[in-house]
Amino acid sequence: MFNKTLILLALGGFAVGAIAEDMEVVGNVQSKCVVTPDTAGVFGNPSPDKLDTDPSSGGVDPIVRYDVIQASYYKARISHPNSFSESPALNDVVNWTGDTATSQVSDTGMSGYDAAKIEYDNVTEFALTVAGSTWFKTETLAEYGYGKAFPAGVYRAVVTAECIAI
Amino acid sequence: MTQILPQQLGLQVNSVIYQYTTLKDPNSDMLVHVQNENARGPGYIFRETDDWSGLAGNTINKAVPVGLIDISYWGDGSIVVEGEGEVTDAYVAYGYQYTPCEDPQSDPECPGYVDMTAPLPENVVVDDGSQYIQDELDRKANLRDQKEEEERLEKERVEKEKEEEIKESLEELLGSINTDLLNQQARVLHNALVATNYLPRNYFEMIQGGYYPDAVMLKDKRLPDSKQGLRVGLASELKHKQLVDLQYGQPTKEEQ
Repeated sequence: MFNKTLILLALGGFAVGAIAEDMEVVGNVQSKCVVTPDTAGVFGNPSPDKLDTDPSSGGVDPIVRYDVIQASYYKARISHPNSFSESPALNDVVNWTGDTATSQVSDTGMSGYDAAKIEYDNVTEFALTVAGSTWFKTETLAEYGYGKAFPAGVYRAVVTAECIAI
Repeated sequence: MTQILPQQLGLQVNSVIYQYTTLKDPNSDMLVHVQNENARGPGYIFRETDDWSGLAGNTINKAVPVGLIDISYWGDGSIVVEGEGEVTDAYVAYGYQYTPCEDPQSDPECPGYVDMTAPLPENVVVDDGSQYIQDELDRKANLRDQKEEEERLEKERVEKEKEEEIKESLEELLGSINTDLLNQQARVLHNALVATNYLPRNYFEMIQGGYYPDAVMLKDKRLPDSKQGLRVGLASELKHKQLVDLQYGQPTKEEQ
């Protein structure tokens, strides 16, 4: 009888030693790429059928700034508009064209971004291979129908700027 | 730079922000120096070079931290191009900071500020330096007085010494004359006395020097009364009593 009791206690002790604990590991990653709107864009209306952000057309190109602390870890993806986010009722098609390029750089090495950019659809991608700040401007031209005047009203469009880890 | 940065005491430049646009052939070499001369020595206190060689022209916007460099070091600034290309739309800004209370008088809020327009409190001696000047004059006067006193004492001492010397020399002179006279007189008198044989013989004998103890010693410790003297005293006493009794009319013992 005594021996059985002792065996049971020993088993109980082994059972306690086999308990497992889960420990949490917490980390906080802050992006080393910051996207900041720099200049709001304005559509100029050089002719009734055109809305253009080009300064020569009376508009203002929107500018966005990318601040990259670590080089070659991110790419900038900027999409020029292909639709209005707000406009009067339109009953005809709108033809969209756009272009994104560097406006200012904080390092001469960033001047090579334009030559190395990748364009598809309404998207332009830049590999951010130099640490620092880069300003990108996006020109947008909207033409309504085939020489058709835009209806009067307020027109809004959105340029999307993203910083994507490579 | 005096036209650009405020000439504030304690002002320090902490960054230079510049922007310019380059117009160039992408294949050409081009260096752009943005610089400021060192106003307190040779060379440049700030010089940043952008290498545009083999790159397309663009607009550069750059912020360069420079630490905290005192305004006095910042000389004239310039943008210099080396190679082929052109710089347009240049813009340079200087970030700075300064300690407002570097000069306590710059702001009444600064510690140590002294309100020069405030009325002086009463019973306050204005230290305009006059006290110091007066003290210095007094000190010089004291020194002059002390020097004069020392000179006077020295002069007196010299005069006194001179008088002493004269006096001593006079005494010596007179002393020597008197001594000679006295010696001559004494010699004449001495010869006369010797000739008359007036002087005793021991006058010419030499007395041995040394210690001469007392020759008479009283050895008795107690001196007894003299009996003869006692009788004389008693007789004298009786005679005195007779005389007193006679004076007061009492019969003397012999009359009784």
